[in-house]
Amino acid sequence: MEYRLRLAKKMLFNKKGSLIGAILAVTIGILVIHVNFVIFQGLYDAIVRDIGDYTTGDVLITDEADYIQRSDLSLIHWLERIPYVEAAAPRLSAQGELDVMTNGRLIEETRVPVVGVDPLRDIQASTVYKTVSDGRYVFSRNSIVLGFALVADLGGVRVGDSVKLTIVDRWGQDQTKWFTVSGLARSPGGQGFDYSAVIHIDTLRDLLKRNGNSDSIMVKLNDPTKAEEVRDFFLRSFPNDDFVAETVEEASEAQLSGFRSGIALINLIGYFGMMSSAFAIVTIQMMLVNGKTREIGVMRSIGARRKDILIIFIFQGMIIGAIGAGVGTATGLGYTFYAKETKMSFNGSLALEVTYNWEKISQTALLSFILAIAASLYPSFRATRLLPVEAMRTV
Amino acid sequence: MSFSIEKGEMVLIVGSSGSGKSTLLNMIGLLDRPTEGSILIDGVDTTTLNDGAVSTFRNRKLGFIFQFSNLLTDLSVLENILLPLQISGEPHTEDDARKLLSAVGLDSQASKRANKISGGQAQRVAIARGLINKPSIVLADEPTGNLDSVTSAKIVQLIKSMAKKLNQTFIIVTHDRRHFGDVDKIITIKDGQAFEGEQMEVPA
Repeated sequence: MEYRLRLAKKMLFNKKGSLIGAILAVTIGILVIHVNFVIFQGLYDAIVRDIGDYTTGDVLITDEADYIQRSDLSLIHWLERIPYVEAAAPRLSAQGELDVMTNGRLIEETRVPVVGVDPLRDIQASTVYKTVSDGRYVFSRNSIVLGFALVADLGGVRVGDSVKLTIVDRWGQDQTKWFTVSGLARSPGGQGFDYSAVIHIDTLRDLLKRNGNSDSIMVKLNDPTKAEEVRDFFLRSFPNDDFVAETVEEASEAQLSGFRSGIALINLIGYFGMMSSAFAIVTIQMMLVNGKTREIGVMRSIGARRKDILIIFIFQGMIIGAIGAGVGTATGLGYTFYAKETKMSFNGSLALEVTYNWEKISQTALLSFILAIAASLYPSFRATRLLPVEAMRTV
Repeated sequence: MSFSIEKGEMVLIVGSSGSGKSTLLNMIGLLDRPTEGSILIDGVDTTTLNDGAVSTFRNRKLGFIFQFSNLLTDLSVLENILLPLQISGEPHTEDDARKLLSAVGLDSQASKRANKISGGQAQRVAIARGLINKPSIVLADEPTGNLDSVTSAKIVQLIKSMAKKLNQTFIIVTHDRRHFGDVDKIITIKDGQAFEGEQMEVPA
């Protein structure tokens, strides 16, 4: 083994306290990045996942006009012939007023978001039906599913109760219909229908006088990575329509852009944390240099050049960086594994969507390794400036 | 001051404390630079060498034996002896180091860490380290200054036998020349002047 590397290793490993301190500094720097990534990127990915699962699918098709004029069935059949498409379902949205008699008191809730779904297709393209924790999903033309937030506003409606929905149709006329509450929906994180009422799409069409219309078609893919391919293929296939096809990220851009900025900021803070660990390495290496002043003088006196001393202490930085990056990455991966296996969530909110981002993991490890070397440059340079005679006088 | 030393001589530099013996030795050893004048070793004016050349010169031409052995405590005895060879970058084997270790009577201690041996043993290791590169000049600064009288006598005997065996120039700073018995030359430092011999005669 190269004598300078061997000497660097022995000097370092004989100062176990300093070595452990320096490795801890690197490890903590990496761990901060991993924890940030697991929590904030996991939260972001979980929101994207839930938006996709509940609202948009992997590709969301809308029309530049408010409603899709083409038959939803013909479009869905066309889409389902694409090998990547697992299912597609139409949706229609409106706002209405809900009235309910609770304990002999009439409670009105206005401007309630109402979503019309095709129950048979919706459970194939969306998992929102799984958020119905009490009762069952929409199954008939007069059943309604209410979100928990809405239920609270309505004074505690229960499954089996009757509610009256009033909607203004396309001609400006109020249309009223009584529904039986079939289920109550609550999603972790509130990305589902917690604030909405869900009814059969044909019932909503009848109320709005918009037979055959839908305002979106959500498309679920068996391979979500093909979303852009499917989107582009769809748009190319209907060049004369005013369709808009978007991936889940595009469809929820307004909702996610602020979050992304937040993640970037948190990551920046994480990298500043890593920088402060570099300062810790500078301090520890300065202590190592000070502790080895006499040895440096001896080496210089028996012929070691300044360059040799520089290399010895840079090797120490490399050893600290390599071990720290290894331990930090292992610890970070351990935390990521734990978060993934336990489907980590906070205060019962949505479960984090934890992924192993190997590119980021490698980048973080490499960056911390480079930072450790960079942090060792100044102490190494200081070591080279020691004069042999004076250095050997140090006790 | 001005003096010259021939190849193969054993020279003692003596003088009272603070007279400048060690400073003189450091200048010969290129660890310190004179403010004026020159030091010629093997015909090379060492005061004109740059830092890199000084390091190479120290490694190839000079061997050092310090008062406090100054071994690297992180290394083993054998590794300490090998260090000057490794610094030189020349191809080498452990054989020479082991022979020297045997010559100083420590062949059984080769793998021990340098801080696990006694002061006398450490000084013998330092002697071996000072000789490993077959230097033109071996510089010893109070090599027995930190040892008891029995060990000192052994170390002096060892230095003298090695000097005779290797025919190398030894320049030894000591405050007590009695340990060394007969040597080729004695230089006495007094009041910033160097005088040959033990009689401190002030020139007219």
